Amino acid sequence: MILPLLGLLAGLALGFLAPVTVPVAYAHLCSVALLAALDAVFGGVRAAADGKFDDRVFLSGFFSNALMAALLVFLGDRLGIDLYFVALFAFGLRIFKNLARLRRHLLQRR
Amino acid sequence: MIELRKGSWSLAFATLTLGFLLAVQLRTTADTRASVPMQRAEDLSTRLTETEKERDQLKQELAALKSGGETGADEEVRMRAGLTPLVGPGVIVRLDDSSRKARAGEDPNLYLIHDDDLLKVINELRAAGAEALSINGQRLTGTSEIRCAGPTLSVNNVRSAPPFEVRAIGDTAALVQALKMRGGVADTLKVWGIELDIREAQDVEIPAYKGSLTYTYAQAAPAEEAAP
Repeated sequence: MILPLLGLLAGLALGFLAPVTVPVAYAHLCSVALLAALDAVFGGVRAAADGKFDDRVFLSGFFSNALMAALLVFLGDRLGIDLYFVALFAFGLRIFKNLARLRRHLLQRR
Repeated sequence: MIELRKGSWSLAFATLTLGFLLAVQLRTTADTRASVPMQRAEDLSTRLTETEKERDQLKQELAALKSGGETGADEEVRMRAGLTPLVGPGVIVRLDDSSRKARAGEDPNLYLIHDDDLLKVINELRAAGAEALSINGQRLTGTSEIRCAGPTLSVNNVRSAPPFEVRAIGDTAALVQALKMRGGVADTLKVWGIELDIREAQDVEIPAYKGSLTYTYAQAAPAEEAAP
């Protein structure tokens, strides 16, 4: 469990130090991708807790979810459909679900 | 804690990406939040410098006026320059756009008051010996313009809309005659239905010129000894 946390810290440091900013027009795409990534990570941790963790499933899900979410929101913008909120809703719901299962898992393990 | 053996590296890689995204997003949000007050501050500072410039100019003007008073600037000169409000007998001419509608195919401009209509009226009044003139409260001086500014009229760079009120101080009878002359200004304007109402008054009040007095480009030439 140490390694992912170290990875998170390294990523944060990299993000703060790197001279990269998202243009304001694409900020909400980035935020959706971020939410998708968050969801995937929680899902991965939950899967690990269940003992069902699979590298390939996890990594493919992580990237495809983030990219697809951003792409869908982008297309929605072009078509005049606010998929942004749909994505927020879907990923938010899943994050809470995963968190709930994780919590239950931790409580039962004790 | 949760046992993680085989997925540790991939999860670490994912969290690295997540952290990176998170940090970039945080910085972007912080940037956009910070930029709005920054723009506001810039806006305010430019306004401040503008106002300061205006204030300095007004101060200069005030000083010039005060020093003029000390040296005993002639009251008549000030009157001629339009710097004092005046009162006297004269006429008040009220002009308004025609109430008639332009028929199809006709130019609606014909039924509106234009700068040249007012110029004609002013010219006629001057020719009849008007001593002071104002349009909608703007004193006419040597540098006053009378100009169409879109649907409004600009006098002394102040805009006003119809109806226009032209005030003139002078020989009342002469002023009225000049306007009502057969084939004169009033006749011509009435053809187009433009409303022209001439009123004689014993105490026409004409305000002082309120605009800027400073010359930026012109300066007094050295006095010539003898006229050529």
